[in-house]
Order: sequence, then structure tokens, then C-alpha cells
Amino acid sequence: MFNPFTLVYLVVPLVAGILLGYLFKDKKLPKLDKLSLAVIVVLIFSLGFGIGSNNELLASLPQVGFQALVIATLAILFSIAFIKMGKKLERTR
Amino acid sequence: MIKYILAALILGCTTGYLNNNFFAAVPNSVISDQLFTVALIALLFVFGFSFALDKEAVAKMRKIGVRIITFPLLVALGSLVGGLVAGLFLHLNLAATAAVSSGYGWYTLSGPMMGQMLGTQWGTLGFTANFFRELFTLTLIPLMVKVDKLAPIASGGGTTMDTTLGVIVRYCGKDTLIVAFSNGLILSIIAPFATVALASLV
Repeated sequence: MFNPFTLVYLVVPLVAGILLGYLFKDKKLPKLDKLSLAVIVVLIFSLGFGIGSNNELLASLPQVGFQALVIATLAILFSIAFIKMGKKLERTR
Repeated sequence: MIKYILAALILGCTTGYLNNNFFAAVPNSVISDQLFTVALIALLFVFGFSFALDKEAVAKMRKIGVRIITFPLLVALGSLVGGLVAGLFLHLNLAATAAVSSGYGWYTLSGPMMGQMLGTQWGTLGFTANFFRELFTLTLIPLMVKVDKLAPIASGGGTTMDTTLGVIVRYCGKDTLIVAFSNGLILSIIAPFATVALASLV
């Protein structure tokens, strides 16, 4: 089930970052692009590590791979189609 | 940008595999849980900070309004329809495939939940299908962003508040931070309820 703790540890750093950024918004600060890329790389690495070390997942790929591929692809395509339709409806109104 | 993501993903998978099966240099959870959590917290802080510094992004964000709620609802609806169509195509139980697609990419939720309700086979499918949703969002983002600026957020589903957030903000722009985060948040709240409701129809 949805863990309320997840909310706390995700929302707190985000809000803290926004508030602190707001305090500094008139100061000249170096671009954070390199830092944010580094953080993404570490995050994706640890995500990959979790996948690679999960033998159960790796073993199940050949069995359910095709079905999973179809479900994932169609869920993605229809989600994109629906938000595009939403945009169109909004424009015609 | 995408080459860094792919390199990190492949390197992570390889090291994870080798560590788990051969070296056991560190306990798996040190990287996949602890380092992951630290990186995630750092990411949210850094992106929140650089969002607030960017006056243009803040100004653009103000125009979003009610779309902050309607966007994830459309994604939930799209995922539901996608799951039904997949069920028709694969000749599987429609309620079950719709329950899988209503994990919105949150595979650590969908896998165990589908497993508990419908058995190991569906658990595996729930896990893998939702894992693919996250994987495709991360790897196909340069293509998706050409279709629509917000397409990667729709594709990412519930993962856009954590694992795919950084990549999305880099590709779609700093002004998408709040839309992406709240999209992931709302879908993550809906996911367990939608999964249980649909799976109980099987």
C-alpha cells in the first residue's frame, strides 16, 4: 500500500529546495546543471543496480517479456494520446 | 544527456548482476536502497532549488491551474484503456491486464500486489510490465519529447515524482518540475486502489 513515509521523505527535500532557492533567487549563483546531471547519473546507476541484482526479475523476462512489452507500450501510447486529446479539448473550448 | 543515462543504467545493471552473483563486494541493499534513497533526496532538493532560482520557470508554472489535477487523471484513464486493449490483443483477462497497466510504472507496488491477488504469474507480469514502462520512459525520452512537451510525463506515470523526475525536468524544461512531481504523486496514490479494484473484478 501507499506508504505515507515515502511522501515525507520526497516532499520535504523538494519543498526545502524550493524555499531555499526562493531565498537565493536574486543572488548570482553558478549553474547547477552539472550537479543535477551527476545526481541523475547516481540515481539511475543505483536503479540499474537494483535491476541487475534481481535474479527473479531477470529469470522472468523471457517468459513474460512479450506480454509485458505489449501492456507497457499500449499504456504509454494511450496515456500520451489522452493528454493530447485533453489539450485539444481545452483549445476548442 | 541520454548517453549518460543509458551508460549509468547499463553499468548499474552489470555491476548489480556481478555483485549479486559473483563478488558480493557490498550487500545489494547498500546500493539499490540506501544509495538510491540518498540520490533521490539529493535530486529533489537540487531540482527544487534550481527551479525556484529560475524566474521564467516559476512564471510558466503559474499558468498550469486545474491541469495539475486533470493531467494525471487523463494518464490514469489512458493507462486503463491501454491495458484493456493489450488484454484484447493478447487474449488475456481484460480486468487483469487493466490492473497491471494501472500500476502506472510503479513495479515494486504492482508486482507484489498482483501476485497476492492473482498469483505468481500475474505478479511477475505486473512487475515486468511496469518496469518496462519506467525503462521506456527513461530510454525513449528524446523521441517522446518531440511528440509532445509533456508526453514523457504521461509516459512516466507514477514514476515522475522520483526515478524519472530528473531526466524529465532536463528534457522537458524546469517549468515542468511541479507538474511532473504532482503527476507522479497523484498517480502513486491512485495506483494501489485502482490495482485492487480492477484485480478484484477478475
